[in-house]
Amino acid sequence: MYIDLAEILKCTECRAGKVVFTLVIFFSLTFSETGLYAQDEKITASELKKLSVEELMTLEVTLVSRTPQKLTKAASAVQVITGEDIRKSGATNIPEALRLVSNLQVAQLNANAWIISSRGFNTIFANKLLVMIDGRTVYTPLFGGVLWELQNALLEDVDRIEVVSGPGGTLWGVNAVNGVINIITKNSKETRGLYVSALGGTFVKDKASVRYGSKIGENISLKVYGQHSDRNPTRMQNGTDYTDAWRSTQAGFRMDWNGTKTNAYTIQGDYYGGTKKTTGGNSDFNGENILARWSRSFSEKSDLMLQFYYDRYYRNDIPGKASDELKTYDVDFQYRFPLTKHQTILAGSGYRLVRDNTISTSPVVAILPEKKNLDLFNGFVQDEISVTANLKVTVGTKVSHNVYSGFEVQPSARTALTLGKSNMSSTLWAAVSRAVRSPSRYDKEYFIPRTPLPPTSPSVAGGPNFTSEKLVAYELGYRVQPTASSTFSLATFYNVYRDVYSVEALPGTLTYQIQNGDEATSWGAELSGTSQLTAKWRLRGGYTYFKAKIKAKPGHNFDPVYLGNDVQNQALLQSMADVTNHLHIDIIARYLDFLPKTLATAQVPGYFTFDTGIAYTIKHIEVSVVGQNLYKKNHTEFNTLNIPRGVYAKLTFRL
Amino acid sequence: MKIEIINKSFSYTAKTFCVFLISLFLIFAFQLQAQTSREYSIKAVFLYNFTQFIDWPATAFSNAESPFIIGILGDDPFHASLDEAVAGEKVKDHPITVQRYQDVKDITTCHILFINRKEEGKMKEILSALSGKNVLTVSDMADFAAIGGIVRFASEKNKIRLQINLPASKNAELNISSKLLQVADIVR
Repeated sequence: MYIDLAEILKCTECRAGKVVFTLVIFFSLTFSETGLYAQDEKITASELKKLSVEELMTLEVTLVSRTPQKLTKAASAVQVITGEDIRKSGATNIPEALRLVSNLQVAQLNANAWIISSRGFNTIFANKLLVMIDGRTVYTPLFGGVLWELQNALLEDVDRIEVVSGPGGTLWGVNAVNGVINIITKNSKETRGLYVSALGGTFVKDKASVRYGSKIGENISLKVYGQHSDRNPTRMQNGTDYTDAWRSTQAGFRMDWNGTKTNAYTIQGDYYGGTKKTTGGNSDFNGENILARWSRSFSEKSDLMLQFYYDRYYRNDIPGKASDELKTYDVDFQYRFPLTKHQTILAGSGYRLVRDNTISTSPVVAILPEKKNLDLFNGFVQDEISVTANLKVTVGTKVSHNVYSGFEVQPSARTALTLGKSNMSSTLWAAVSRAVRSPSRYDKEYFIPRTPLPPTSPSVAGGPNFTSEKLVAYELGYRVQPTASSTFSLATFYNVYRDVYSVEALPGTLTYQIQNGDEATSWGAELSGTSQLTAKWRLRGGYTYFKAKIKAKPGHNFDPVYLGNDVQNQALLQSMADVTNHLHIDIIARYLDFLPKTLATAQVPGYFTFDTGIAYTIKHIEVSVVGQNLYKKNHTEFNTLNIPRGVYAKLTFRL
Repeated sequence: MKIEIINKSFSYTAKTFCVFLISLFLIFAFQLQAQTSREYSIKAVFLYNFTQFIDWPATAFSNAESPFIIGILGDDPFHASLDEAVAGEKVKDHPITVQRYQDVKDITTCHILFINRKEEGKMKEILSALSGKNVLTVSDMADFAAIGGIVRFASEKNKIRLQINLPASKNAELNISSKLLQVADIVR
């Protein structure tokens, strides 16, 4: 096996493919029915008969933590990574964890910035994704994207991350154009006990985390946690370090009270702060949030949820020259009830107030006015109709109102047909939806320079006429669960965008304004699967194809290549294997196509890389060594900075 | 130069994906081959255990050596695992055999009847046909014990729990050992 591998490695051109292939074959042979560990998976009847009834009751029935039924039957392109997938992968923060989702394009721009999107439009200001952590929206209405360096969670306590590619505007909101990322942490009753970990490495310099959770009363649990990390810089093309090392510290708590069988209350909050090095000096950031949620269930088909949160972040964008402080107050209400025997209504409404304060002392660039209140009202209703036992149709719409583009309507119609047996079913689904990306402050109020110039001098003067970007999406998908321990999904889409972002000079002048001068179509397919091959070996993987045609509308002239730093093909394979009861080996291989050159960024070559984690557990202690991006010494994911190969060692204690 | 890079990455891509797809199919093939239903292997042994912890009246058997019949109504989720679990086993002097039924009307003599959860729509008919007979009805369908079945395999946190409807067991003249009742949830 190893000799073959060496032979194969000589062929550099197709190395990546062969490495993936070899790994798969190697593991298939090692762990398949004839392999060493097949015995453990299928306990024989005579072994089981030796166990008492009590002992039988302690056995795990299925080996995969299955996603809730509602997801496997949902009429949308959902991919889920479990907390276990994340912990085993050796990911050290949320963007690294999102690399495990094959329908997301994750590009690390520098040591402290990531550009993440699904279904295209992955620019520095990627702005078509809705991202939530425990129900709290974390994309910033400053530019419509996510400041990933501010988004931290204790990965040990993450329950799962659900990623819906495609529009989720009807249920979720105004930014859910190309996808929704929902990061969900565990209820504090599941995170009781002590967890301490510390790691040291080359690219991730160090990270320490501690959590303690306890029952504090009848049906009440509380956990508190803290974590700190230091991260080393990326490298410039000439091999020297770039100025982007950074550190962040976060602490938080979560309290859950299951008052009665029907009522549940959650209060949680986080505080964080940190510093990034930039070429212009140190840039600080900090923030805090607090969220309270009450949910009550009346029956299996009826419940309500009321949630309030406050969130603040401060970020020094250009040290000493520009900063931004944004405070969000949000209240959401949701109610579900059966209308008839075959219809369930889900309805909700919400209000969000965002107070933004951008301060710029730079004469070059400013967001004007500096202070602005952004109101957002929304209401939605959706009807899930069981036409037959196997055919479900869901129709609904969201209506929202924002300060820039006024009322927006985002309807959708989805249908799901369940085929086959109930426990190993397959679902064929189709959907048509409309979603909008409403204007952000960067679209409307961005000025270079700060003070207006005459039309004869080049300047950018905001986007007074900029309106929402609109999408109509057509989706068709198939999801199958061929065995109790495997799922496969194929989702395809065809998207039509109108009024897409452009920056163009007003006729006869050098005064540029942000406009809606482009239009686009895009199409693609997302294939993903998970499979528990044996009791001790699990595989996840996926392949995504994406293609877009973005062009200037008649009478417009903006070069649309800028909007599409998108990979055409990308693939992922994660292998999680318990080699013995104590030893776990995790391998994640991924490939992403090249990115085209744009007016703002360089061409990025396609790359293959892989991560490997080896973890040894004895009782409460786990020792692990993780290598990230091992294939090459350096690789680039966006523009020109090199992401170096990284290795870290970690010690974990769980009690 | 630039075009060269792009072309190169395309052929690289194409090859990577061909092998990736082949790999996925291989995985799929292995998966199907390795198709195990651990869940039902465990449930099969539960069914065997029931024969040891539950007493059937002597009238349930035509003679002292007639077989003890475990029936499966509807599609068989156990495959070979139930046959393996009871192979060569006896209840007192009754050798255990497994029978499979598509319709409740096909059942003549049966001591334990496992009802596939897909039969949920026919439960009324099934339970009324078995009423008063010495049959231990078992299923994993929702609310099985609550609607008049005797033992339900419930799953909780990926583990099996037993729910037992005691009045229904009395109706079938079955005597369930306290050892079994202690670890089960009694449902009315």
